[in-house]
Amino acid sequence: MLVILVMALGLTLFGGTKNKRVQNAAGEWEVVQVNKFLDPQNLVLLAKDASFVAIMAVGMTAVIVMGGIDLSVGSVYALSGLVGGMFLRYNWAQGPPAISLGGHGWLVWVILMGGLAIAAASGGMLKKAASPGGSGASRTSGFLLAAIAGVAMLVVIGAFVIAVRNNGDPTGPAYGWKASGLAAVVMGVGVCALIGAICGLLNGSLIVGLSVHPFIITLGMMAVVRGIAFVLTDGLSVSGVPESYTRGFFKSGFWEQALGVPVYPVPVVVMIVVALVGMFILTRTVLGRRVYAIGGNETAARYAGIPVGRVKVITFVLMGLLAGLSASVSLGYLGAASSNDGQGYELSVIAAAVIGGASLSGGRGSAVGAVLGAVLIQMINNAMIILDINTNYTNIVMGAAIVAAVVLDQTKARLLPGAR
Amino acid sequence: MKTLKRLSTAALLGMLAVGACVGMSGCEKKQPAAATTPSAGTGTKTNAATPAPAGDAKPATTAAAPVTNKKNLVIGVIAKSTSNPVFQAAKTGAEQACKDLAIKYGIEIQCKWLTPVDEDAAKQAQNLEQLVSQGADGISISCTNADTLTSAIDDAVSKGVTVVTFDSDAPKSKRMAYYGINDVECGKAVMRELAKAMGDKGGTVAILSGNQTAPNLNARIQGVKEELKSLESKGFKLKDTYYTKETPGDAAGLVQQVQGANPDIAGWAMVGGWPLFTQNALDNVNAKVVSVDTLREELDYVKAGKVQALIGQDCYGWGYESVRMIVEKLVEGKNPPGVINNFELAVVTPANVDQYYGKWEQWLGKK
Repeated sequence: MLVILVMALGLTLFGGTKNKRVQNAAGEWEVVQVNKFLDPQNLVLLAKDASFVAIMAVGMTAVIVMGGIDLSVGSVYALSGLVGGMFLRYNWAQGPPAISLGGHGWLVWVILMGGLAIAAASGGMLKKAASPGGSGASRTSGFLLAAIAGVAMLVVIGAFVIAVRNNGDPTGPAYGWKASGLAAVVMGVGVCALIGAICGLLNGSLIVGLSVHPFIITLGMMAVVRGIAFVLTDGLSVSGVPESYTRGFFKSGFWEQALGVPVYPVPVVVMIVVALVGMFILTRTVLGRRVYAIGGNETAARYAGIPVGRVKVITFVLMGLLAGLSASVSLGYLGAASSNDGQGYELSVIAAAVIGGASLSGGRGSAVGAVLGAVLIQMINNAMIILDINTNYTNIVMGAAIVAAVVLDQTKARLLPGAR
Repeated sequence: MKTLKRLSTAALLGMLAVGACVGMSGCEKKQPAAATTPSAGTGTKTNAATPAPAGDAKPATTAAAPVTNKKNLVIGVIAKSTSNPVFQAAKTGAEQACKDLAIKYGIEIQCKWLTPVDEDAAKQAQNLEQLVSQGADGISISCTNADTLTSAIDDAVSKGVTVVTFDSDAPKSKRMAYYGINDVECGKAVMRELAKAMGDKGGTVAILSGNQTAPNLNARIQGVKEELKSLESKGFKLKDTYYTKETPGDAAGLVQQVQGANPDIAGWAMVGGWPLFTQNALDNVNAKVVSVDTLREELDYVKAGKVQALIGQDCYGWGYESVRMIVEKLVEGKNPPGVINNFELAVVTPANVDQYYGKWEQWLGKK
């Protein structure tokens, strides 16, 4: 927080001014001088650019507080955005897409039914497994069944996407589905979040069921999910998302009259809501306190009767869900998704959470801190532009600033005991 | 002990701060040398007295911006990544164009290079918005993903910014013009030269490409395949298309592996020259090789006789010509044709390789 304020002050002072065309009351354009940094348009842009990472960083904070890590967020982000885009651009008025995998369309239905049955079974098993008294064997198999259910759901969704792709040109214009604003938004966000949550379920249940460190499982999932995203689209990007989803909602312009140019704050609003909800869950609910307890000492948490496995799975599901939500926001803002989206985002997200005070050894971190961390990263980016620093130096400045921010934060805690 | 720890932390912090300052000031010093208008940011000289004329008549939907009588222009250049040397040539070209045109028209032109370190379409969209917000008059961009950037480009255009694409187009956007090669023709030229190098006797050909999602690479692959089809009667046939990460090490490794597993491959049609940026990519490869791009490292291969021909792109022109189109539009109101892609493709062979060495020195700003 302190770092952000100092930097904002510095940018305001050293950023200098720029010319800006503004429409005055009479509707004429005139050129005025504004501070490069304090220009409201710049501030909203900055917050907007931070929001995609910040939304995921809130989930990452929970995962890190629990003593885990999720490297698959960038890939999950890409897959969620792609599938969400496919759903949104498909013309539902003509009925569901004909699923024909070379005459083996029935296979999809078998997998779907099987997946549902397994999901139902695993639901029951999971409940039993999660209870502290459940036997080790049933616990493990319950989580593994949940993982299988996740795979089945992904297969079904994959079949759908391939069917949509085969039924039409995925790069062509939209199919003409004109949903009303709200329907498109609910569907887009819902589908993206669902895909993210399924990936999170897969992550969580594999980690708990196989007792493998989250680093390994999510490292594998990072590649697998990215691969799925690529196979589903053959590397083409998905566009043609309905206007009601993009300019109608996630890219609605505001304050055009006052500023001369519109700004697009919807992603920022989503970010703030996610931060507040995240803060509430982490600090004010049983689930949140359990997350901190597991991160503090997993063995002690288990002896205290906390269903460690279930809490872990739920946390990873929430992480995936937030990755999906972030993808849906960026899909709405940019109007397109591609299997190459979000490459390397996992590191930005982890960096944001860590700058925000999350301890990689677990037990410490805050949702609002994570959002501020993401904002700080964007401020460094913004500084490169405002101060006219050669962008070839971006990575050097960024890396040094991340270390400096964390060290400064720790120093503050050491020098001023009681500041925290 | 505790004081010692505090002291050491403070010392570490101080070092970091100093390091950051040195780094920043180093960049800042470098900037004027690279940019065309030393120390004259947009803010130092104001145009408050000269409001954009007829600005209120600015159409919201077309690319036609009014002729400006502004005395300083800001042109942003966004390439795909800073780590690819072809875009460094584009940068040199753009900066040179700013210098030349500033003299020609007697105005100040500032060139802002805002390229992501790694390829990232969303980051490009962010940089584009930032440039618009910082008051850029024109933007020249090579699109990593056309769909992702279309909406950002349209927004910039509706705010009165002139946008030109180079190298990779966004055909559905409202950009004023595109400057780059015709990739299908480029692919055909690669295969033509390869067939020549293989002595027109036929043989098995493998294609090497990079990012599977890049439309320009896919168009080149299509060109290679079309040309190959017309040569089928002569006994040429396609083995497969191999995709690599666009990093030299990965690409060189892939070529070695594929060649080792398929000794029958007699020719490589490379639609990008990634493996050739290393020194020993073709050590155990006896096949004939034709590649796109004419970077210095690739020229060495031609000189050594290991690569039979290179198809050149006008990387310098990406920057120079796109900036020229923007400035001419802003100053003179000149409208370029929408798509410029009908260049003669340069073919570099051992016979004429020497003259290309000097060209790259110039392209990278060393001369």
